[in-house]
Amino acid sequence: MLTEAETSVLYLSAQVALLAVACSIVPATLLGWLLARWNSALRAPLQALLMLPLVLPPVSTGYILLAVFGRSGPLGALWVQLTGEGIAYTTAACVIAAATVGFPLMVESVRLSVLGVDPRLEQVSRSLGRGRWSTFARVTLPLSLPGLLAGAVLGFARALGEFGATIVIAGNIEGETRTIPVAVYTLLNTPGNETAVWRLVGLSVALCVAALMVAFWLAARQRKRAGA
Amino acid sequence: MILEARILHQLHGFTLDVKFESKGPVLGVFGASGSGKSTLLHCVAGLARPREGDISVRTRRVLLRPGGVFVAPERRATALFSQDPLLFPHLSVRRNLSYAPGAADQLESEYGWKVVALLRLEPLLERGVATLSGGEKQRVSLGRALLARPELLLLDEPTSSLDAELARDVLGLLAQVKHELKTSMLFVTHKAPELLALADDCLVLDAGRIVAHGPPVSVLSRPKAIGVANLVGVDNLLRLKVLRHDAEGGITVLELGEGLELAAPLSQAETGKLSSIGFYADEVLLCLDRPAGLSARNALQATVTSLDTMGHEVLAGLQLGRQQVRARLTPAAARDLDLSTGKSVVAVIKTAAIHWLEG
Repeated sequence: MLTEAETSVLYLSAQVALLAVACSIVPATLLGWLLARWNSALRAPLQALLMLPLVLPPVSTGYILLAVFGRSGPLGALWVQLTGEGIAYTTAACVIAAATVGFPLMVESVRLSVLGVDPRLEQVSRSLGRGRWSTFARVTLPLSLPGLLAGAVLGFARALGEFGATIVIAGNIEGETRTIPVAVYTLLNTPGNETAVWRLVGLSVALCVAALMVAFWLAARQRKRAGA
Repeated sequence: MILEARILHQLHGFTLDVKFESKGPVLGVFGASGSGKSTLLHCVAGLARPREGDISVRTRRVLLRPGGVFVAPERRATALFSQDPLLFPHLSVRRNLSYAPGAADQLESEYGWKVVALLRLEPLLERGVATLSGGEKQRVSLGRALLARPELLLLDEPTSSLDAELARDVLGLLAQVKHELKTSMLFVTHKAPELLALADDCLVLDAGRIVAHGPPVSVLSRPKAIGVANLVGVDNLLRLKVLRHDAEGGITVLELGEGLELAAPLSQAETGKLSSIGFYADEVLLCLDRPAGLSARNALQATVTSLDTMGHEVLAGLQLGRQQVRARLTPAAARDLDLSTGKSVVAVIKTAAIHWLEG
């Protein structure tokens, strides 16, 4: 079975990915809803900005994150003032990197599933006396829930695979920031570790395939529901 | 008043510019598609924000611009009901019906019990929405709107895409709702018979403007505007030259061509210019010979150019001078007169049956 080091890497990776999804799910849902329903000239620039981590080289994303969350960065300095400790090179930095790169996937998934909800249902809800938020909670959110969950699974899978931004902002500290991809990279740096690399690669493949299958199943359910 | 409105709304090059007030209880808004009737309904519902306007639903102001009053749609008490039932697919029938705030309590009240009985909802309550037939969905949707206890029920073409039988059902239910629950309604439609069946007051919209306003019978049977005439199916619409006015005789004489003249009620129309008139095909009598001692001013030589039997009526096309006119008669009358195309007849039209049309 898995060695102690592998268990630690797996556990850390799952923890980071779950935390990343947990932190992003509410803002991603609200932003996805906003992008689907907000008619404003500011929508396109906002959408472009939100999609940026998807197209930027992850290393660049990591560098920007380091500039923001490093000890001398605005948020990093604030954090140091508040807690006396830095964010960079901690598990928290891994979570930030994973959340950032997974965020666009979640927003886009929510946006598409909200677009699949007939806006006239929302109008009827408003005319029946339910306000904007109540309508969102009672109609839009339940009807786009499978899409939202699929987005969360995609975000989770993306977070599991995150390497570029993580290595820049979180480094490679065993037990703290060494996630599966970072561990694979570390093993590759020394010859003779092929078996160990393959074991970790197999583990990532299994996790990601499982996550993607869940996402596809949820998306199919969403389509079926929208068609009903 | 159920509704008072002054609206100036522009959208994609289309302008809705209306001002009216209505005592209802059912105000019909009639017009072709693109006339602005749905836009008007959206302005009342709060789903559209007109640039300028002043709208009061049952004396409560819901919009004043400029002036900064905009009551959100959910606080206007104007529930929507449209041809598409738009039930919430993730909720059961019961939860759809109790969707509006307070509707769950309404459902248990005497009023709710009346709604359930009227719309025959009892056997549907515990069912899922997906299992309902089209007619059942319509009934649930209407029930859901009524249980929100709207001040004004907004009906957006409630029957337009339904098959004839279902449309008749829905219309019947709406009539019952009107009489038994005393619900005020704003009823948008392009079907004249529905307006006559349900509305007490009627607005006719054409290209974003009101072209007629009044009781449906008078608006629809005495079309003041050529747009209305086209909409409601006035059979004979003619543009004729005004020859002369006879103020003492109370008539204005129009040219039909080939030496024929048509006497219409006295009007202000300018002599020598073309004017529009309209009359229903039912108002044209056919005789084989010129009748003696006739009060009708118009007894005109005509030739039958076509005969179309449609159900229990015959529509005869007539050449009157240079004009084409239609007369409606029963198959029995057509048989007795032995009508056939090419036959010469005399068409009798009462002056008072002829309406001047604007436009």
